[in-house]
Amino acid sequence: MKKLECPVCGGHLEVPDDAVSGELFEHDECGAQLELEVDENGDYKLKEAEEISEDWGE
Amino acid sequence: MKVGVAYDVIRWEERAIIEAIKKLGHDVRPIQVNKKIFWLTGVNGFSELDFVIQRCVSFYRALASTAIFEEQGTTVVNSFNVIRDCEDKLYTTLKLARNSIPVPRTAVSFSREGCVNVAEELGYPLVVKPIYGSWGRMVSRALDKDSLLEIIEFREYMQSPYFKVHYLQEYVDKPNRDIRAFYFWGEVPAAIYRVSSSWKTNTALGGVAVEAELDDELSEIVKKSGEVMGGGVLGIDILESRNERYLVSEVNAIPEFRNTVRVTGKDLAKIMIETTINNIKK
Repeated sequence: MKKLECPVCGGHLEVPDDAVSGELFEHDECGAQLELEVDENGDYKLKEAEEISEDWGE
Repeated sequence: MKVGVAYDVIRWEERAIIEAIKKLGHDVRPIQVNKKIFWLTGVNGFSELDFVIQRCVSFYRALASTAIFEEQGTTVVNSFNVIRDCEDKLYTTLKLARNSIPVPRTAVSFSREGCVNVAEELGYPLVVKPIYGSWGRMVSRALDKDSLLEIIEFREYMQSPYFKVHYLQEYVDKPNRDIRAFYFWGEVPAAIYRVSSSWKTNTALGGVAVEAELDDELSEIVKKSGEVMGGGVLGIDILESRNERYLVSEVNAIPEFRNTVRVTGKDLAKIMIETTINNIKK
């Protein structure tokens, strides 16, 4: 597991080692919906998940 | 096989699909389309893929990336035509009705006067839907002429031009549930009831999933609907009316299935990949 900082509350969140860029996580402590970003160097960081758009769905 | 998974965000379903591809012994290549550049005048490095499963939650990302994969020679499930046709409720209803699949009585009007005239035929209440959209978003029920005119007025002030295409449908007096059935390449692997005290039963709006019985009539309607829409891998929404039994309301080309797996125990991600590979090989 990788321990990452929540960009909303500054708390911490653990994500699995095999998590994929774009994977969604909810931070239990603050309720934020977060999205994993993996950069070209393979470094992980969390950002606030994109808001639901008009064309989202099934 | 080498299987691409096109996505913008990874939800439970995309994670399950990626794991299923690995467990079945195939190579998986996740493709986060919103982080990529796609050359229309050059190659994009997908030629080694046997096929791509399209899983973007954004319709326009799904459609655009599918067009690129397909035109550059990579098979996509579902195809460009299936994704486009299923997203458009006007076209879905038209296509199903033309092929004798039972659907709620539906009309389209481009004017407020036309909507009032349609309502006189359909009666109240009636349902007004955006022709694009999902999860029950902005689907409205007009209880009488006043509320219909209010709904149309709101739609006329919306910026997106497609809100000026008024899709009006009879309100089906169904039990407190509808049916979501899955169609995978000619088979119906699972179905659920979506139970709700609201007339909108989408699980995205709080509808509760319960495993549904698949009788022969339901299976046949699901299979025929899937065939008419050209799928692939589809989620088909069906209403139970008091008299006609089953009416197909919508067909979803990139269906969510987390709640169905939870209540049926069926490994839909695995079944999706297995049946897709079997059909791609044909």
